[in-house]
Amino acid sequence: MSNLKVSITVNGERKEAEIEPRMLLVHFIREVAGLTGTHVGCDTTNCGACTVLLDGRAVKSCTVLAAQANGKKVTTIEGLSKGENKLHPVQKAFVDKHGLQCGFCTSGMIMTSFWLLNKKRKLSEEEIREAISGNLCRCTGYESIVDSIQEAERRMDESEEYIEEEIPARRGR
Amino acid sequence: MDLTEKLVSGKGNFVDDINMPGMLHLSFVRSPYARAKILRIKGGITWKDVDLKMASVGEGATKGFEYLEHPVLAKDYVGYVGQPVAAVYADSPYEAEDLAETSVEVDYEPLKAIVDPEMSLTAEPMYPGLKSNLLADKYLGADFEIKDAPVIIEDRFVNHRIATDPIEPRGIVAAYDGNRLTVWVSTQSVHSLKEGFCEIMHLEPESVRVIQTDTGGAFGLKGGIYPEYIVAAYLAMREKRPVKWIETRREHLLASRPGRGVVGKMKLYADRTGKILGIKGDVIVDSGAFAGGSGEFSARFIAMQLTGPYEIKNAYIHAMSVLTNKVPQGPYRGAGRPEAAFFIERMVDRLADELEMDPVEIRLKNATTAPYVSPTGLTVEASKPFLESAVKAMGYHDHVRKGNTGFGWFVLVPATMPGETARILVDGGTVKVWLGGNAHGQRHDLFVRSILSDELGIDPSVVEWQKGDTDQLEDGVGAWGSRSAMMGGSALVEAARKLRKEVENKYGKYSPQKLLEGKWDSYEFFHYDKPYNNLGANLITVHQDDLGVIHVRECISYYDLGKVLNMDNVIGQNAGGCAEGIGQTLYEGLMFDENGQMMTSSIADAGVVTADLVPRYKLLLHKSESSLPSRAKGLGEAPTIGTPVALARAIEVATGLRIRETPINPEYLLSAKKFH
Ligand code: FES
Ligand code: FES
Repeated sequence: MSNLKVSITVNGERKEAEIEPRMLLVHFIREVAGLTGTHVGCDTTNCGACTVLLDGRAVKSCTVLAAQANGKKVTTIEGLSKGENKLHPVQKAFVDKHGLQCGFCTSGMIMTSFWLLNKKRKLSEEEIREAISGNLCRCTGYESIVDSIQEAERRMDESEEYIEEEIPARRGR
Repeated sequence: MDLTEKLVSGKGNFVDDINMPGMLHLSFVRSPYARAKILRIKGGITWKDVDLKMASVGEGATKGFEYLEHPVLAKDYVGYVGQPVAAVYADSPYEAEDLAETSVEVDYEPLKAIVDPEMSLTAEPMYPGLKSNLLADKYLGADFEIKDAPVIIEDRFVNHRIATDPIEPRGIVAAYDGNRLTVWVSTQSVHSLKEGFCEIMHLEPESVRVIQTDTGGAFGLKGGIYPEYIVAAYLAMREKRPVKWIETRREHLLASRPGRGVVGKMKLYADRTGKILGIKGDVIVDSGAFAGGSGEFSARFIAMQLTGPYEIKNAYIHAMSVLTNKVPQGPYRGAGRPEAAFFIERMVDRLADELEMDPVEIRLKNATTAPYVSPTGLTVEASKPFLESAVKAMGYHDHVRKGNTGFGWFVLVPATMPGETARILVDGGTVKVWLGGNAHGQRHDLFVRSILSDELGIDPSVVEWQKGDTDQLEDGVGAWGSRSAMMGGSALVEAARKLRKEVENKYGKYSPQKLLEGKWDSYEFFHYDKPYNNLGANLITVHQDDLGVIHVRECISYYDLGKVLNMDNVIGQNAGGCAEGIGQTLYEGLMFDENGQMMTSSIADAGVVTADLVPRYKLLLHKSESSLPSRAKGLGEAPTIGTPVALARAIEVATGLRIRETPINPEYLLSAKKFH
């Protein structure tokens, strides 16, 4: 197999590498970019632990080839916080509302929530549950995650700072 | 940054996040057959390199009977699909996977697999020299005869096997410096793993260190040691290079020990007032192909609990663990407790239907008014007062009037024995804490902080809960069996009191300032060798839509938790456990065909619940005292015991169909029979 040259912008930083054509985006993120906050929990696109934003859209990075992300922008969990002590309101809400227990599903859960809240507000509980139904959590029973997302929505509504220009507002899924 | 802040920022330290220079990646070649002779193996690391066995043989087995011991790598025989046969390694995981497919040849001669545990009872023994396929065979209680009992009900129930399915699969990194083996692992107990490495690989305790990484859920799966860990350690020692192995989900479903997989055949004798006169039963555990899982133990444990919170005077139970050509059974949250509750509570509901009585009325009639030890050995406190307050607090009668309500209750038997350890290290103004059991999502940090701020009068923010490390805490048991707040908490309370004394002895008077200024190290093994059971109840209401799909509407828990050390902790444990209970009841199962091939191929197929399938949970607390130093009682497994029984009954009421199995999926509902 001959290698491919790709250039992917991860959290604003350009990463260039020669990779095997079969390399999955999640492995590019974890191994090439060295960002291990994006997790792998399955091999069948079911768990959502690997969720990242690809050009502003939430994707399961285990189902995208790194080659398909060539020239595109990826945002991972590490890209949400602004510096050490500046957690994004979604992250902060997960801490405060106990939206995590073991924390393994959390990166994916937060990325899905972040994407959700950037495309739509005033969500009903049913809409939230529906929207995160592609992300599995075995610890929390989801209630505290729903609470966290609702809390994050409140905080993002209050704070102008968190209107994300780079995230295109999309309707529908 | 504290632990949760790290986790929400993607800065956790899970085992797959560890990378070391020169690290090798391990991949396994597994048996494609449920039962076969191995004629030839070519390539890879094989039993010729690692000729070791996982465990000593279980109770009821012929001593020294080598076929029952799980080999680290298979030699001339495989007993289940997914059993490790050979291992390969490479510089990258992709390459290692390729090698597993291309570089090892194995010739098998397939044999007829024994898949069904009940058929296994009468099948030819699986291994030459065995008299039967019973791995464990015990009677509990005493045989009895009740002539002309007015009511006799017989039934058979099944809880199918389910995958533990933590979202983080198993994984390990092993390294060797020429003297000492160090492993980093996702685990519930660094101490049990260390013991395992020493025993299996014949290593001295000083030459093994086990360090816990962030552990992404475990639920019983990660309490013990597995063949893959031994191979990783072997290779690290041989190559003097770090070795990593991370399980895939497919491997998890095939080759990680699953829970449940139990059949209960019950016979209940009663009079027409609803008083239970006695129970008989067979408990049949689908143990899998080798000893060393939890199969041998669980049949007896389930049988012991079959009398439930009731004053049943006569009980006689046959507890059997049976060999089958499947991966050995293991503990999954509840581990025998949910099965026992399912069997007895289903029978009590049947009795209620038979006598056309309210299910709670029957339960009140059979509850104990004083502490009671049942013929099978289950210790119960006076359960009637608890039931009366549960019924009231949960608004049972209002719910029943509205319809589609199920109620169930149970005795939770936490794994108290033999106690637990704790260490507190005060240095530079911070207070570090290690517990002998290692949290895998229960947030021990929360109750640790609550206990120490109470006991030592210090600000919770100076307390730093630490992950497991055998070099930091000399011994310990593990985080399982609803025991951490009870046993780990008690060890911590005692260690804190010891510390207080030491400060007092030195300065004449205790003060938090004096404590934090100094350097102190306090260790405690809180020994405990009795049961300490508590009661719990669950109520569930359901709605069946026009398509016949069951939706859980309300899920209420009423538990006796003693003192709540930390409310967020308790709410989290209840919520997660309820979701798992609902999952087992409605969706979760590992299914096999008649050749022992698994038909469940993904975590979605395996039935892990999603957010849209579960309701909000309500937790009500029964006020009581605990006499343990931590003042806590058991919780972690309670919802996985109470939810399935309440939900099964609610479905029965909603559909009019008799429920005898989990999962109660649409196919099951199509096959179930009307009962009135
Ligand atoms: S790892 Fe991508 S969905 Fe599970
Ligand atoms: S917090 Fe453990 S899987 Fe979600």
